[in-house]
Amino acid sequence: MKIAVCIKRVPDQDVRFKIAAGGKAVDEAGLKFDMSDFDGYAAEVAIQLTEKAGAGEVTVVSVGPDAVQETLRKALSMGAHRAVQLKHDTPVHDGYAIASALAAELKEGAYDLILTGRMAVDTQNRSVGAQLAELLDRPYIGAITKLDVEGGMVKARRELEGAFELVECTLPAVLSIDEGIARARYPSLKGIMAAKKKPMDVRPAQLGAQRYTLESLELPPERTGGRIIGEGPDAVPELVRLLKEEAKIL
Amino acid sequence: MHIVFALVVVAAFGLFAWNAWRLILELRMGRLDDSRWSDVGARLGNLLSIGIFQKKIFRDSVAGPMHAAIFWGFCVLTAGTIEFLVAGVFPSFSFAKVLPGVLYRFYTINQDVWGALVLLAVSFALFRRITKRVKRLMGAETHPNDPLLILSWIGALMITMFGDQAMAMVANPEPGIGLLRPISAVIAALSSVVVSPSAALTLERLFWVSHGLLVLSFLNYLPYSKHLHVVVSLPNVYLSNTSGPGQVGVMSAMDLEGDLEVFGAKDVEQLSWKSLLDGFACTECGRCTSVCPANITGKPLSPRKIMVNVRERLEEKSAAAGIGLIGRSAGGTAVTTAGATTARALLDTYITEDELWACTSCRACVTECPVSIDQLSVINELRRNLVLGESRFPEEILPAFESMEQKGSPWAFDPADRAKWADGMDIPTMAELHGRGEKPDVLYWVGCMGSFDDRAKKTTVAFAKIMKAAGVRFAILAQEEKCHGDPARRMGNEYLYQMLAKDAVGVLNTYAVTKVVTACPHCFHQMGNEFPQWGGHFDVIHHSTFIEELLAAGKVPLRADLHEPVSKFTYHDSCYLGRYNEVYDAPREALKRALPVMELVEMPRSRDRGMCCGAGGGRMFMEEHVAEGGKRINAERAEEALATGATTIAVACPFCMTMLADSVKARDADVTVLDIAEVVAGRLAV
Ligand code: SF4
Ligand code: SF4
Repeated sequence: MKIAVCIKRVPDQDVRFKIAAGGKAVDEAGLKFDMSDFDGYAAEVAIQLTEKAGAGEVTVVSVGPDAVQETLRKALSMGAHRAVQLKHDTPVHDGYAIASALAAELKEGAYDLILTGRMAVDTQNRSVGAQLAELLDRPYIGAITKLDVEGGMVKARRELEGAFELVECTLPAVLSIDEGIARARYPSLKGIMAAKKKPMDVRPAQLGAQRYTLESLELPPERTGGRIIGEGPDAVPELVRLLKEEAKIL
Repeated sequence: MHIVFALVVVAAFGLFAWNAWRLILELRMGRLDDSRWSDVGARLGNLLSIGIFQKKIFRDSVAGPMHAAIFWGFCVLTAGTIEFLVAGVFPSFSFAKVLPGVLYRFYTINQDVWGALVLLAVSFALFRRITKRVKRLMGAETHPNDPLLILSWIGALMITMFGDQAMAMVANPEPGIGLLRPISAVIAALSSVVVSPSAALTLERLFWVSHGLLVLSFLNYLPYSKHLHVVVSLPNVYLSNTSGPGQVGVMSAMDLEGDLEVFGAKDVEQLSWKSLLDGFACTECGRCTSVCPANITGKPLSPRKIMVNVRERLEEKSAAAGIGLIGRSAGGTAVTTAGATTARALLDTYITEDELWACTSCRACVTECPVSIDQLSVINELRRNLVLGESRFPEEILPAFESMEQKGSPWAFDPADRAKWADGMDIPTMAELHGRGEKPDVLYWVGCMGSFDDRAKKTTVAFAKIMKAAGVRFAILAQEEKCHGDPARRMGNEYLYQMLAKDAVGVLNTYAVTKVVTACPHCFHQMGNEFPQWGGHFDVIHHSTFIEELLAAGKVPLRADLHEPVSKFTYHDSCYLGRYNEVYDAPREALKRALPVMELVEMPRSRDRGMCCGAGGGRMFMEEHVAEGGKRINAERAEEALATGATTIAVACPFCMTMLADSVKARDADVTVLDIAEVVAGRLAV
C-alpha cells in the first residue's frame, strides 16, 4: 500500500506570540517549530498501517520554505520512507492554493491513501484535505478517530457530539485524521540515524491561484485580572448581580 | 605418593587456569573500549582502603568484622597453603629453612591465630545464616545454598589444617613447638589423652590428604560460585571508577556519530567488560538492595538482581557460544542451546523495563557495594537502549522530552518567563553586562526548576538576595539559559542530552564564563562534572558551598538578635550533592552559622547513607506506581525526617524540596521544608 501524508510545519503553540513588524505574521524569533499535532497523528497512522502489513511505503509531503525539511525529516525518523518538499518561500494562507500544489504532486504515484491532519493547529484551517480530494476526484472522510483498511475498503469512525458515525469508502481515498487515533511516536535515535539516509525530493510548489490574502494579525486584548468578591454561599448574590449587570451574560 | 600429589596439584591448577581463561574470554564478549589503565595512584588507593582494609565491608557493624576476619585470615593462610602445597611435592621443604627464626615464628603463630579467627567467623556466619533471617541476604535472585556450602568448606579447611598440625605434634612431639603453633599445641595436648602416637600418624595423613583435596577442589569450585568474588573482588576494586568527588558518577559519553548497530545495551555484549567483571565480583550480599530506595518502598527494582542477571546471562550466552563448556552459576538456570539464546537478551528476558524505570540514580547501591560494583552503569546503558534504540519509555516522560527540545525546560513553561522571578530585583543579564564590556564575578545558573517552579522560585529569590546583601557581582543568563539536558541523559535520551548540553556549553563559552554558581545539585553535577565532555570547563559551585564561604568570610550581614527560640532542624542530603559530589558539610555549616541557636538533628540515614527523595534519574517526571504494601519514596523519607522531631527540614535541592514538601503536607505535619538559602535569607539584616 502506498500512503502519502501531508504535513505542516507550525510554531510551538503554548507560548505568548508576538506580532512581527508589518502586522501580517507572528514574530518567529525564539519560536520552535514542529509538525502540526494532527499531522503527527496522521503520519503515525500511516506508519502503523505499513508496519502492520509488513509492506508499503509512506511518503510525507509538505509545502513551504526549506525549513520544512526539518519537519519532514522528523516524519522520516518516525518511520516514513521518503519525503517531498514542495518549495515555496513565502507564506501561503489559501487552502485551495496549497491543495492544488499537493494535488499536482500526488495525482501521480498511485497512492492508495492520502492522509492529512484534521486541521492545522496554528491557523486552525481545515480545508486542504477536502479540497485535495475534490481536485483528485477521490472519496473523502474527515476527522477520523478509528480506521481499518482491508480488501480495498476503508472503514472509518468519526466522532460526533454524543454519537459515532461509521463510514466506508473504497480506495484510493483521502482521509483527515483526528486526535485519539494514535499518538505520534517519539523518534528513536535509530530512526533519526536512518532518516538521514532516506530520500528527500525538492520540487517547486505548483500553487493554485491564491484567492484570499491575510490582511492583518492582532493579539487578543490582555486579560484583566480576576476579582475576589467573597467566599462561600454569601458571595453568590453579588456574583449573580455582577454577571447580570457588568458582564451581561446572564 | 609425592608424585601423585604433584600430578593432582598440576591438574587442579591446570583446571583453574582453564577456568580463568574461560572467564577472561567471557569478559571479552563485552565492550572493550572502556580503558581502565589510568589513575594508578587512585586505583591503588582504592585497592588498599576498600580492598585490603575492607573500608566498605565495615559499613555493616555485624557482618563487617566477621568478613574482615575471614578475608585477612585468608590472606595470611594463603602463605600456609603455599608451604603446604610445596611441601607436598618436595617433602623436605619448610619455610623454617628459608625464613630467619623470628620471622618463621611470626609466620606460624599467625597461621594458628588467624586459622582460629577464621573458624570462629565462619561458624558465626553459618549460625547467622541458618538461625536468623537476615533480610538483605534473602531475595529471589540469590543462591542461598551456595554460601552455606562455601562456609562449611572453609570451616573444614580450618579443621583439617589444625588436625594435620595437631596430629603431627602428637605423633612426633618436639619440644618448643607449642611456642610456634600454640593453638595446634593445645589441641595436640588435649587429644594426646585419647590418641596414641601411631594412631596420630594415620590421622595426620588423613587430615593432610583431606586438607589438600579441600584446598584444590575449593579453588576449582570458585569459578562456578558466587564466591568467585574471592578471586575477582580485588581486581574489581582496583578497576572500579576512580573515586574523587564528582568523577564517580559521571555518565559515559556516547559516540552518536558512529554507525552504531545497537544504542546503549540490550544484551551483555554491549556492556563494558567492566560491568561483566562486576557480575563476576558480586557476592549477592544484598547490601545494595537493602539501601535501594526503590526496593525499600516495594518497587520491582533490586540492584543485586541486576548484577546477578548480568552474570547469568553472560554464562548463558558464553555457553551457547561454546566458551564455557560447563559454565553455569550455582543453582542458576541451566545452559540453553544456541538457538534458544538468540531470542533472549539481558533486556526483557532477565531485566524488565519496570525495574529500569524504577531507579532514581541515587547511587546508594554503588556507594554501599563492598567490592565497588557499579550497578547504575548497567541500568543506564539498558535505559539508553530502551529510549534510543526502541523509543520505549513510560508515556509520562514524553512531554518532558518534547518540552526540553521545544522549550528548553522539562516543563512546558513559556521560555519568555524564565527570568520572571527577577522582576524588580535589578539583576543584570550576561548580555547586558557583555554589552557594557563588563564581566560578573560569577554567573548564577538558576536552573529550570528555580526559574519556573513557584516553590523553587522562592529559593532562587532568597539566594539572589543573599548574594546582593553580600555584595557579590553576579549575573544571570535569563532567556539564554536553557536546560542542559541532564534529565534527558539520566532517562537514557543521550541524543537529546548532547544536543542541549552542547548548546549550553556554547552559550557559556560565548560569554567566556569561568565561574558558575547554582542552587540545583543536578545542574551542579552536570555542569561541573559532565560538561568537560563537550569542551565546557567551568568552576561550578553549589550554592550551599557558596553561601557557607560568604558566611565564613563574614560577608553576609545577619541580624544580631539571638532571642529567637531554639529550633530543631534536620538536613536532608541530596544524592547529587552528597554521594555524587561529597558535599556534606557546607550546607550543615551554613545552617549553623546562620542560626547559632539552632539544634541540628541527623536522620538515621544521612550523609553518604542519605536516602533519596525519589525525584532523581528522571523519576520526577514519572508516575510512581505504589504496589500493595509499598509506599512512595518521598513518604519513606519524610517519615524519617519527621521522626527526628525537627520543626524544619532543610534541603539544598529544588527536587528534594518538592518531594519532601509534598509528603510533609500530605501528612498534615506542622513542619516546614526550607532551602538553606531561605533559612539564611530569613536571617539577613536588611
Ligand atoms: S541508584 Fe539508587 S534507586 Fe537506582 S538501583 Fe541504585 S540504589 Fe536503587
Ligand atoms: S552488587 Fe555489591 S552490594 Fe550488591 S549484592 Fe553484589 S556485592 Fe553485594
